[in-house]
Amino acid sequence: MLKKILLFLVVAGVIGGSVGYYLFNKKVPSMADETSKIAVSAEQLFTAFDTDEAAATAKYVGKIVAVSGQVRESSKMEDGTPKVILETGSAFGVLCEFDPNTKHARTEFQPGETLTLKGECAGLNLDVQIARCVVVQ
Amino acid sequence: MKKLVIIGIWLSTLAVPAPAQRFFTRNAKVQFNSDAPMEKIEAVNKSGTAVIDTKTGNMEWKVLIKNFIFEKALMQEHFNENYLESSKFPNATFKGALADVSSVNFGKDGAYNTRVKGALEIHGIKKDIEVPGTITVAGSTLKINTVFTVAVADYNISIPGVVRDKIAKEVKVTVDAVLNPLK
Repeated sequence: MLKKILLFLVVAGVIGGSVGYYLFNKKVPSMADETSKIAVSAEQLFTAFDTDEAAATAKYVGKIVAVSGQVRESSKMEDGTPKVILETGSAFGVLCEFDPNTKHARTEFQPGETLTLKGECAGLNLDVQIARCVVVQ
Repeated sequence: MKKLVIIGIWLSTLAVPAPAQRFFTRNAKVQFNSDAPMEKIEAVNKSGTAVIDTKTGNMEWKVLIKNFIFEKALMQEHFNENYLESSKFPNATFKGALADVSSVNFGKDGAYNTRVKGALEIHGIKKDIEVPGTITVAGSTLKINTVFTVAVADYNISIPGVVRDKIAKEVKVTVDAVLNPLK
């Protein structure tokens, strides 16, 4: 009986330890695997933050959003990850930083082209910032 | 002839563009490292905003907490939900000025070591800090670098006992930014 209990404890310990180790070291998942429940235009999103930042923060920050709009500006960060600013009709835009954990099919974008990008809304910092973006096909 | 010389001098002064007074970026890189013996924690935000007025030396910086990119999912989750509570306190800001605006000659290319004083707000707590930094004037751009430490306890960030040993009491913050004239 004691042997069985010991064996159970050892097995439980190994499984628990493995699960803990896996969870602790798990990489941030690709945004491509996440589902967005909110679809919004870049102009609507910016206007929401510009009009009432607290209400828009409560509604959008931390949520996965699909934002559509025209590319105003496209650049690349030092590691080659793209950064796109979507037009809002204001001096500031919706700034989308691409997901470093996703292999992107496209990394070049032309001003004026229409895009839908999915990412986590980070809030207002002059522009509305969307983190870890991927292109929605 | 004398009149012509005077007009010539006057025209030449008009031809010199006034140097830009305010510089801006939306691509400031703010990185933090916690080098505790058991675990290295590192995250970077590449979309910080900064504006500096070269006449007064006043400056403002802001980063969104949710835009710090981590390698490990659990670290990112704990950072946002437990430590920085990013839904409640979505950003960190610094508002301050050069301690001595004459320490940087914004009209002449070169690297200037200087100090910045002001209020750093993280997790809803504002603290006065003074940190060293380098401003490099290169043509029409300003490059700003600084490295300083932040004591986690100063900003009311509580770390649970289980992981306390994994997280250093002081976090190293590195800022790199290239600012362009604000049009």
